[in-house]
Amino acid sequence: MRSIRMAMVILWLTLTLTVAFGSSVLKNRVQVLERRLAAINTNIQKDIEGIHVLKAEWSHFNTPERLRTLAQNQLSLESAKPEQIINYSALQFNYEDSQNVNRNALKHKNLTTLVKAVKK
Amino acid sequence: MGFKVNFSKSNKERFYLPGQEIKISRAAISRKSYMTESDNVLTCRFRTTLALCGFAFIYALLCFRVSYVCLGKGINIDTAIVNEQMADDEVIRFKNPVKRADILDRNGEIIATSLPTVNLYANTKQIKNAEDVAEKLNLIFPEISYEDLLRKLQRRSAFIYLKRNLSPAQQMQVNNLGIPGLEFENCEKRIYPHKNLFAHVLGNTNIDNVGISGVEKTMDERLTTSTKPLSLSLDLGIQNTIRDALVEGVKQFNAEGAAAILMEAKTGQVIALTSVPDFDPNENLKVEDRAMFNFATKGVYEAGSVFKVFNTALCLESGKVKVTDRFDTSKPVYFGKAKVTDPHGSHKMLSPEDILVESSNIGSTLEILKVGKDFQRKFLQSINMDKELAAFELPETARPLFLSKQRWSNHTMATISYGYGISTTPLHIISAFSAVINGGMYHEPSLVYKKPHEGKRVVSEKTSEHMRTLLRAVVTRGTGRRANVDGYQVMGKTGTADKLENGHYNHKKSISTFVSGFPESNPQYTLIVVMDDPKASKETYGYTTAGWNAVPITRNIITAVAPQLNVSVDFDIEKQKSIVNAAYKK
Repeated sequence: MRSIRMAMVILWLTLTLTVAFGSSVLKNRVQVLERRLAAINTNIQKDIEGIHVLKAEWSHFNTPERLRTLAQNQLSLESAKPEQIINYSALQFNYEDSQNVNRNALKHKNLTTLVKAVKK
Repeated sequence: MGFKVNFSKSNKERFYLPGQEIKISRAAISRKSYMTESDNVLTCRFRTTLALCGFAFIYALLCFRVSYVCLGKGINIDTAIVNEQMADDEVIRFKNPVKRADILDRNGEIIATSLPTVNLYANTKQIKNAEDVAEKLNLIFPEISYEDLLRKLQRRSAFIYLKRNLSPAQQMQVNNLGIPGLEFENCEKRIYPHKNLFAHVLGNTNIDNVGISGVEKTMDERLTTSTKPLSLSLDLGIQNTIRDALVEGVKQFNAEGAAAILMEAKTGQVIALTSVPDFDPNENLKVEDRAMFNFATKGVYEAGSVFKVFNTALCLESGKVKVTDRFDTSKPVYFGKAKVTDPHGSHKMLSPEDILVESSNIGSTLEILKVGKDFQRKFLQSINMDKELAAFELPETARPLFLSKQRWSNHTMATISYGYGISTTPLHIISAFSAVINGGMYHEPSLVYKKPHEGKRVVSEKTSEHMRTLLRAVVTRGTGRRANVDGYQVMGKTGTADKLENGHYNHKKSISTFVSGFPESNPQYTLIVVMDDPKASKETYGYTTAGWNAVPITRNIITAVAPQLNVSVDFDIEKQKSIVNAAYKK
């Protein structure tokens, strides 16, 4: 009878200690995870703020004035003039129809280079 | 709980003498049929043992699970379920710390945003040596005088602002001082990346980030209650092109100022709205009153001959004047002592088209005399010339000066037909002009990008078609010749009126206007350019009329913006073919 009682006490003690230890480890792990989560949240918040500032900066760098200067200096680009815009129907061949391209290419030998480029 | 004894039949029948022992055999007592005190204890023990075993089992399970979680692989989390939960959970979503929403143009470009900054304040009760602190802060903020800082620091208060909107570098410098009593407060500062470009449209916010003018004021509630950006109908590139053209024009013609509005003719949405001089809303500097004044929406003035557009439209709409009619404009028209003359000299028989092309005051008067003042008044009311455009998303709008019915005499009727006697804003004119040329539908002007509403009919499609033809003639052979951009079929009308100063007309100063639309075959856009007091020069041969200043500026604007707006060019196809051939034969 005594030995049974002893066994029971040992069993209960073992179980209690195991659960206590396990709970402690678990709590510790959860705390670590919570700290990580908080750090990640802070980083996300900072990133959102950073993205917002970067968007403002992007807008600042995209002022038409600055882009125009860059396009003129770096790309030698000028604004398109109305006379540079040609009506599609004014073109003498149809880009979309390959057969027509070939036929027109034969008619207009001077356009062969352009047609080749289109076919590519 | 008692107990009962089952007597056997033989026992019942048996006779017992007094004092004789009644004998009950052990077998006669059924375990099932009665309980004793000693059996109760047994039952309790049995049940306790059972409960303990149960608890031990659960405890063991718990123990196993804890060990498994701690020592094993841990818990398997289904990421799909977690993600689903996160999507539904409002708490987990991250919000932008910036509270005031951004303002975007129609292409999504940011034109107003807020940046998180900090304010520096002092709890002077904690500051021991105010002189020393003031000296150190003065080195970081040289723009604030030492005396100012000292005066603030010597006041006994727990909260005194020392400097608002610190840069990150300044914040770090103050932090490095390590002075107790200097604290930071998180805040945000409104930024306008394009500086002056949208000054009059966006307006400004005050030191507490509350809108005090422009869209910032009108849409203050919307901008502070939702972080979703507000999209305007404006186009950044177009706005810049138009402002550049106006700034150049003001410089070239030495004008006091200028304003322009570009509008979608079929929706009333404003694509560009600018008024110069303007100001940089990022700077909290004092600017002159003229620079703060938005002439495009608040400038009430007599537009002059531009009103002949509405006069012709209403006369044609009334049915009493036809495009084939002829009017004798060789003699002035008299109203008592007052007479109506033509500044460009007398003409003879003019059609409604010629009246617009020659900009004849007499012709306009003769037209309106056939129609009458009641119809004129009603028509002008239908195109909102009598009321403030309150639905427009700017607080800086004005009510036109529209005479009462009692003061609407025949002479008034005549002067209004050529643009005197009624004062209105460029925004009113462009909205009404759009209605006249777009097929006859009036759309309330709007700055916010939204689904266009249907509008109300003010003239018939036929009248609108006639008006387009007449207005095109003004550009091909009239006062608007210099705005004839090849391929875009520009139509329009000029107007020059003496400036009204202190109740008197100043004949040396004028306001010139050119209102235009393009292309004639399918009017998509309307543009108004107003020059405030342009000066004569050698290039203008001494003229200050709209044809010499507002019209060339309009030409520059249309040449630059029409390709950006993707307006289809209407060149002669044969001419274009020859251009293509010439280009490839090279």
